[in-house]
Amino acid sequence: MQHFRFYFLPFFFIFFNNNIYSQAANYKIDDTFSKVTLIEFFNRVEKKVPYKFYYNKAQLDSFILQLDVKGLTLSGVLKEAFKGTDILFTIDDINRIVYITRKLQLITELPKNIFRHIDYSGAKNNVLNDSIADFDIASGKVTKATTRKLIEIGKKTNRTGGNIILTGYIRNATTGEPLVSASVFTDSVHITTTDLYGHYSLTIPAGNRILNVQNIGMKDGKFQLAVYSNGNLDVNMEEQIRVLKEVVLSSSKSSNIRNVQMGLERLTIANIKNVPTVFGEADVLRVVTSLPGVKTVGEASTGFNVRGGSADQNLILFNDATIYNPSHFFGMFSAFNPDVIKDIELYKSSIPANYGGRLSSVLDISSREGNKKNITGTAGIGLVTSRLQMEGPIAKDKTSFMLGARTTYANWLMNLLPDEFKNSKASFQDIDFSISHQIDSSNNLYFSSYFSNDRFSLGNDTTYGYSNRNVNIKWKHNFSNKFRGVFVTGYDQYLYNVSSDKNKINAFKLGFDINQVNLKASFDYYVNSNHAFDFGISTIRYKLHPGFFNPSGTQSVVQAEEVEAEQALESGIYFTHRFTPNPKLSISTGLRYSLFDYLGPHEISKYVPGQPVTEANRIGTDIYGKGKFIQTYHGPEVRFSVRYFLSPTLSVKAAFNSLRQYIHLLSNTAIIAPTDIWKLSDPNIKPQQGGQVSFGIYKNLKSNTIETSVEIYYKKIRDYLDYKPGASLFLNHNIETDVINTKGKGYGLEVLIKKPGGKLNGWISYTYSRILLKAYDATQGISVNNGKYYPANYDKPNDVTMTGNFKLNHRFSVSLNCTYSTGRPITLPVGRYYYAGSQRVLYSDRNAYRIPDYFRTDFAMNIEGNHKVTQKTHNSWTVGVYNLTGRKNPYSVYFVSENGLVNGYKLSIFGSVIPFVNFNIHF
Amino acid sequence: MKKLFYILLILFGFFTGCRQRYDPPLNSLPNSFLVVEGVLNAAQDSTTVHLTRTFKLEQTATIRTENNAQLTVEGKDNTISSLTETGNGNYVSGNLHLNPNNEYRLRIKTTDGKEYLSDYVKVKLTPPIDSIGWDRSNEGLQIYVNTKDPLNATRYYRWEYEETWEIHSSYFSYFVYENGIVRPRQLPAENVYTCWKYNNSSDIILANSNRLQDDIIYKGPITLISPGDERLGERYSILVREYSLEREAYDFFELIKKNTQDIGSLFSPQPSEIRGNIHCINNPAEFVIGYVSVSSIQKKRIFISSAEVPQWGFSFLQGCPSVKVALNPDSVKLYFNNFNLVPYDIDPPLFPTSYKTSTPDCLDCRVRGGKLLKPSYW
Repeated sequence: MQHFRFYFLPFFFIFFNNNIYSQAANYKIDDTFSKVTLIEFFNRVEKKVPYKFYYNKAQLDSFILQLDVKGLTLSGVLKEAFKGTDILFTIDDINRIVYITRKLQLITELPKNIFRHIDYSGAKNNVLNDSIADFDIASGKVTKATTRKLIEIGKKTNRTGGNIILTGYIRNATTGEPLVSASVFTDSVHITTTDLYGHYSLTIPAGNRILNVQNIGMKDGKFQLAVYSNGNLDVNMEEQIRVLKEVVLSSSKSSNIRNVQMGLERLTIANIKNVPTVFGEADVLRVVTSLPGVKTVGEASTGFNVRGGSADQNLILFNDATIYNPSHFFGMFSAFNPDVIKDIELYKSSIPANYGGRLSSVLDISSREGNKKNITGTAGIGLVTSRLQMEGPIAKDKTSFMLGARTTYANWLMNLLPDEFKNSKASFQDIDFSISHQIDSSNNLYFSSYFSNDRFSLGNDTTYGYSNRNVNIKWKHNFSNKFRGVFVTGYDQYLYNVSSDKNKINAFKLGFDINQVNLKASFDYYVNSNHAFDFGISTIRYKLHPGFFNPSGTQSVVQAEEVEAEQALESGIYFTHRFTPNPKLSISTGLRYSLFDYLGPHEISKYVPGQPVTEANRIGTDIYGKGKFIQTYHGPEVRFSVRYFLSPTLSVKAAFNSLRQYIHLLSNTAIIAPTDIWKLSDPNIKPQQGGQVSFGIYKNLKSNTIETSVEIYYKKIRDYLDYKPGASLFLNHNIETDVINTKGKGYGLEVLIKKPGGKLNGWISYTYSRILLKAYDATQGISVNNGKYYPANYDKPNDVTMTGNFKLNHRFSVSLNCTYSTGRPITLPVGRYYYAGSQRVLYSDRNAYRIPDYFRTDFAMNIEGNHKVTQKTHNSWTVGVYNLTGRKNPYSVYFVSENGLVNGYKLSIFGSVIPFVNFNIHF
Repeated sequence: MKKLFYILLILFGFFTGCRQRYDPPLNSLPNSFLVVEGVLNAAQDSTTVHLTRTFKLEQTATIRTENNAQLTVEGKDNTISSLTETGNGNYVSGNLHLNPNNEYRLRIKTTDGKEYLSDYVKVKLTPPIDSIGWDRSNEGLQIYVNTKDPLNATRYYRWEYEETWEIHSSYFSYFVYENGIVRPRQLPAENVYTCWKYNNSSDIILANSNRLQDDIIYKGPITLISPGDERLGERYSILVREYSLEREAYDFFELIKKNTQDIGSLFSPQPSEIRGNIHCINNPAEFVIGYVSVSSIQKKRIFISSAEVPQWGFSFLQGCPSVKVALNPDSVKLYFNNFNLVPYDIDPPLFPTSYKTSTPDCLDCRVRGGKLLKPSYW
């Protein structure tokens, strides 16, 4: 799985102005100044001494000077001149500059102990000695120097003093890709991380500074800066070389305790690739489900549950495109090609205000930008899938592309499945293509597209298919160093269809699709190190075809039926204030206002007020014309989080969130079935609402090499849809008659111990969580469990996951993955009886029982080919075993009527040891 | 080599079927739960309560009646009257003389020492059935009911029905074949030409008038008789019983109706538990199925004769052969014993040379499930 990149340039490349030092000297001045302005005075003095004056003309032009000096030094002259005024001066002998200020004295030297953490001796510090920086001035001249050389930031002639803002991009030196979440800091107070585009803004005091740049997998960098005014510094970082003798780097990789965001999980593709998965293919979603607070109802199930949220309460974004079905092949593979993914971010607690529309979580998946320097690629061959990935420059250093594609040959696998699936067929494909283009230093343009397609038939003549189709364009513009905007527009589509042609008379095609056009403008404004603002607007135009059922072929007598299309507009406006009053405390306050309009044309059924919404109580329909606003829902959403440092390695965080969701997944089963449909809120279906409070303690141990955290949360949801018994959801023209509104409460505890780097890396997580629902509305008629709380389908209280990776040497590593969780709830038939003339089945309370617990262990070995630089291609093997213990974990428990008896069966999808092998080529 | 073999065995040996028997962990549940069916009749008529038990999934389906229980109807005004057991889990009372302004509950003491009690229920009076009618279409004959409550107080309705229909054999039988001997049938005592068949509703039939201003049920569907059905071969009768329900009782019946018999495949929908208004006093957590309601019961009967449904498409002759069997012992033995044919007439009538024979179901209406006794209302 893992592929190596072989680049042996162990250095940094940075861009700066070369500088010549000069010595201070004393000059004696003789002159007579009679009624001259200060400006004139400075000009005359500049002619006598090799010093330059820096001042604010507006502050000084009202002063008239009368002065006679003889044999005085520069400072003597100035002292004399400003006697009795509030004008102060500072002489910088090194740079031969005189600063003139009023009221406030400028200090050009820092207190002696400010750099006490930084070791200048060089001899002891490998990093400093190894590093080389490239300096680039406007002429394009490139020189090389060690980082001990001074880099000037801003213009000497434009010194402002005080705090200045340093901005720039951190990129990978070999590929030109931006590095996300790289730490940029001078000390523990002046610290920031790069954003999605590798961009950073750092406020630091003017003067001489040591700037550190760190990113996982990259060589750390330190730069000496002479900071004059706001400026720019781009850093190209080199990948960490694996040397035979391990270098222990214990740097401040402490973003987990520092980040004000709670419940944020960030994983890079390198982390993801270390986790063994079935068939050896790195799987984004499967790794996500191993994180604390994230669960899945079964191994072959689409979707995941975050902190007791249902599968449809997760917003899954792939390069800003909404993905409605994130998996292939009944959920056995995630729909994302691991070779194009850069990293994933999962927000499960404090969801930033720029995201909206889902209650539980946001999973933001970003693909890498293509290599801007060389064409490279990888190819992988596995038992079930093959992958290809290519990237490279279109215009060197300006424009690059990235292409990823996967396909499958899974039919043989279907024959290994249980008898129910005999004669089944399955295939899937996905394609990612993206272009990134740098117009100039403040304008970037990104195009990205995604296509996935699944087709399968389950043991009979019926073919199922589904597809995600997404395309978007993003423009990022830096208005200034402090103010930036990102504009995205895109089109997302998800559709499925089912067809059957075997019986010509009954041949049919049925389907569903959802289409949305998105428009989003987001801005961030960085005021200073204490204040920053994010704000923006977004809007989504939905069009859904909830279902059609058509005859297929000329002989079919199937009667065509279609549920009327739905359309709506969901808009949001948000504002976030990030406030850091002091280095210990950081507060993020966000407010989002969302607005949802259900639009015509549509027919809306009316029901007897105060009576259950049932077919029997329907009293008519209202017909709305095209573009009519049928129903509007709106409301504020609060996103608040706060972080406080108790010590440099210990922080506490708290967060409160409220969210609204206007789109519902209609699924009468515990999983996302291929035939589940989405439904927009309408006059009869209220939007879901949720709120969550959470609290967490974060502690880093052993020089930040081990991260630990404990988080607790309590959440409430309202108007989540559950279903009446026997509800049928497809082609249902009045879906509101088959649903019940529930309110839910969820609570839990999450413990994580993580070692992100080193020879042995991985994490152990434990989650306790409950999610209980209650059919609260007594007027709805049929109630579930007598209106008492009952566990939701995906309520799995205990969950333990261990993921470990051990690098024996540079060519061989082993990974182990263990998962245990409580079985999911199930409603069991408990008996039969006769009533009203027929035999009936007696069921237990809803979800009163559980299927057996789940336990699985996976093991994988990664073997790299030789590391010769001269090779054209490099290869690696992944060999492993999925479900090492061969435990028959139940996927589903079901009952069938056989010869007048009702027998129970449990079905395991991967009920055996599954070995796998995968071959990868990197070129 | 041996090592390689074992490796291959490990690699592929585990790819076996993944479906296993699963016995749900229901140990804590007793074998069966009480099922209570019946309406306390508030009209001047008899009341029947039927007690049965649930049975396990893996048991063969049988009606398990609950016998020797003691049932009493208790009023809020401390009136008590008891029901008498008549066998087969039926408990009956004559006129209970229930007061429409009172509330009543049912107490059940079973032989295992457990005691069950329903909630107090208000008496609901059922408006009379206006009419029962039918519409004929391609789908068949739809029987419907019309009813209304001028007081707008009923709103929720449930119906049950009893069907009776007359059937005929295909041929009139003049002979009996028994113990290898053919003898003339004694008429009319041994007439097996005309029978009556009975059927009770097995669906839960519900309707409400919530969406109407007035409390009217217009053409509430009762049952659909498919085209060509035997029921309308000669003459058909249906007795419809109407009950008025409280809202909670209506919900209870609707839930039973919605809980499908489809119990689970991979993607099957969620069923739901059934709860009525009866509770076990000794063990409140125990399931008790049933909803005791107190209402008057209204009845109405109609008749439909085959002449009213021309070209119905049913004939009592259809599918019935008439085979002539020569009048000699060998033929008789062969056909009657081995081919299961039965004589019904002789041919020609004066100097017979052969028997006219057919299969038993074409000659004896009892074989088709009929009963010979003519019902009183026929």
